[in-house]
Amino acid sequence: MPPIEILSLLISAILLAGLYATMSYGLALIYGVMKIVNLSHAGFMMLGAYTAFVLISPVYGIELNPFIPPLIVVPLFFVIGMVLQRFVVRRVVGQPMITSLLLLFGLWLIIQNIAYVVFTADTRTLTIPWLLQPIRFDELRISTNRTVVFAMGALTLLLLQLFMSRTMLGKAIRATATDPDAAALVGVNTARVQMIAFGLGIALAGLAGALMSLVYSFDPDWGRSHLLKSFSIVVLGGLESFIGVALGAIVLALVETFSVPLGVPIALQDLMSFALLVIVLVVMPGGIMGLLQRRT
Amino acid sequence: MILQGHNITKAFGGLQALGGVTFTVEAGEIFGLIGPNGAGKTTLFRVISGVYPLTSGRVVFEGREITNLKAHQVCHLGITSTHQIVRPFAEMTIYDNVRVGASFGRVAHSEAQTHVETERVLEFCKLTPQKNNLAKSLTLAGRKRLEIGRALATSPKILLLDEVVAGLNPTEVSQTMELILQIRASGVTIIMVEHVMKAVMGICDRLMVLNYGKQIAEGKPQEIVKDPLVIEAYLGK
Amino acid sequence: MKKIFLSPQLWIIIVILALTASVPFTASAYQTLIFFTFIYISLSAAWNIIGGYGGQISFGHSAFYGLGAYTTAILSLGKLGLPPIHPLLTIPIAGVIATIFAVLIGYPTLRLRGPYFSIATIGVGEATRLIMLNADFTGGASGLNLRIPEDIKSYATQYYYIGLAWMIIVMLVSWAVKRSRFGLGLFAINMDTDAAETLGVNTARSKIMALMLSAFLVGVCGSLYAQQIFYVESNEVFGFRYSIAMVLMATIGGVGTLWGPVLGAIIYFPINDRLSTLKPIELFGQSLELTRLNLLIFGLLLIAIILGEPRGMVGIGERIWRKVRRRS
Repeated sequence: MPPIEILSLLISAILLAGLYATMSYGLALIYGVMKIVNLSHAGFMMLGAYTAFVLISPVYGIELNPFIPPLIVVPLFFVIGMVLQRFVVRRVVGQPMITSLLLLFGLWLIIQNIAYVVFTADTRTLTIPWLLQPIRFDELRISTNRTVVFAMGALTLLLLQLFMSRTMLGKAIRATATDPDAAALVGVNTARVQMIAFGLGIALAGLAGALMSLVYSFDPDWGRSHLLKSFSIVVLGGLESFIGVALGAIVLALVETFSVPLGVPIALQDLMSFALLVIVLVVMPGGIMGLLQRRT
Repeated sequence: MILQGHNITKAFGGLQALGGVTFTVEAGEIFGLIGPNGAGKTTLFRVISGVYPLTSGRVVFEGREITNLKAHQVCHLGITSTHQIVRPFAEMTIYDNVRVGASFGRVAHSEAQTHVETERVLEFCKLTPQKNNLAKSLTLAGRKRLEIGRALATSPKILLLDEVVAGLNPTEVSQTMELILQIRASGVTIIMVEHVMKAVMGICDRLMVLNYGKQIAEGKPQEIVKDPLVIEAYLGK
Repeated sequence: MKKIFLSPQLWIIIVILALTASVPFTASAYQTLIFFTFIYISLSAAWNIIGGYGGQISFGHSAFYGLGAYTTAILSLGKLGLPPIHPLLTIPIAGVIATIFAVLIGYPTLRLRGPYFSIATIGVGEATRLIMLNADFTGGASGLNLRIPEDIKSYATQYYYIGLAWMIIVMLVSWAVKRSRFGLGLFAINMDTDAAETLGVNTARSKIMALMLSAFLVGVCGSLYAQQIFYVESNEVFGFRYSIAMVLMATIGGVGTLWGPVLGAIIYFPINDRLSTLKPIELFGQSLELTRLNLLIFGLLLIAIILGEPRGMVGIGERIWRKVRRRS
């Protein structure tokens, strides 16, 4: 394969990784702090996408600049997430994980079907002309919308890392994630932390959806395959840190992108994430980070 | 001797929980396993009963190597363990809890025999009046008795009791000690992890002391209590 | 045994079954609806064996359903170089194929704990759908058409009774498992897998066997579906919709109970069926599509049940019964 093509694929993979990482932070955070798998993550991504759609698309007449919806989605979904945690999710915290799983599944169903009722099953696409014009370097074409999403995703990662390591709240969240009892002993209000973490997780899901609406077409069913990929990434990355999530996203993106020239039919690309998930779950439950930590 | 451990080592990633423990347990004795918190006592139990695979070493039961067997296989051969934090099958009745042990334990019973055995164990552990209540309705003392009863229903030859009197008041401790002696009298060997000295000194024939995953003493309770290494382990220098 | 023969419960069941059996002659307009209710009850009860009794929540059971349907389609059409087989004879084969698949995916996935297993099953369901959609022998996106018999009315009546018989068989299996030692082991695994293992339950083997049994029963349901609809297509029969349906029916009805899946299916299927024919309505200038209202309702019901009465409709029924008895 000519080097230009390899470079092109590599850049595609990196951009894709940025996308995948962004959509996985929310899931990772909620799982890390509350040890529950947020099945409604896909639903909130989808809602984030529709919110962006309503705000940007000429259909509804609001027509905002594409950089604005994330700023609206994040605080809105944060509040929604906190309210949900406080009044619904918190009630099943002590119970076996299956209970919260089913609860969040029910939530996902509700969100998905409210979207069906309101928006119908029609596929929606956001067409913003300047985003669809690729950037050109000689023979290299890089997709603009993906680059924008990558940039915003990278910004998000940076902000998240700063938040988690520099702020008191961030440290409280990390403490609760590592050992809730010890955290409570040193004075952390674990109930409040969990509420905030869940809100943040939902906000991140919505943000991911709002960003991904610039790249993907979507309908109310959208999100399920992304949920699986996010979960693969979170498990791959080792469940403990956002850097881990980024690493997991890179691995998945590379596998998916380079599987095509290696002969895997495009229709079966989604299977890559599933195969990776099964391999990781069965062979290395600690993920990549677990593997790295063992060396030290 | 009914049970032997040869140089048992167990590491979790970089952390070594057990560093070469060797011991012998005689049939019919009550063998105590003591040591400061984190010494590796529960880990040793889990390794013996097959819940954790060990990193190196051997476990020999009745002359037979059981080192790599799974927990249910070890149970079928005759070693059953209880858990430090009691785990009853909460939504099942007390009767059914014990019935699980009787149905899947070492001895394959017919349906009628299972019923008889379950009733016998319930009576033995003084749980008969509550047998049709859900397990989650029990107090801590009741749950500890259920934990023992469930394990007993598997017809074990060796019963591993993990801190079975922790959290009980003095009366309940005495009652449990009485129960343990009766179990031993029926022919079961007992290995118990315990912190409550009254129980340890009161009923154990021999003790082994673990500290930081290594054994630092083994012998009769009266000797162990005077051993300077043991005193140092518990109290520091 | 005597107790069972004389119990009023049994007589109620017999009466209901007798009434149901008379439908092709008394209320034939509802025949198809009730036939599919039989199928849904069977699906729900079959899922309940691994999901309810065993506590392993599978979101991927549509894989077994689709495999059953396709087995019947492929074998009765005589594809893959084999001679055509009479559809009725393909029924046990459909079950077996689903069971084999259960063994294949069971070994890696059943090792996983709770939520990990559930997510893995979502993956299995989706992966199966994708693979079958893109395979040649399944006819891809256009699916396969089975031969429609000439005397459709007597065929439908014949299959009505087959469906009824199958449902009775599935319920008997469910009842037998619940009473058996195997079922006790499953419940123990459900409550606390580690404790069950130390008490001598071979948890790995019990889980696989429960999945195999569940898969067989679901596979047969898929086969019956194919023989009634005469058309199988990957996105439909392997659709997430069926996986969701099975989870919802059992959980709303009462997961882990004997009659829960029946109640759940009776609530689920007819509502599903009727709502799917609704036309959109106008509200606040927005056109609202109502065909998915059912899933919205069930999502709400699911959450209500989990928060309020984990034993579902059966639990609610028991509470009402206890209140009634207290009054009298």
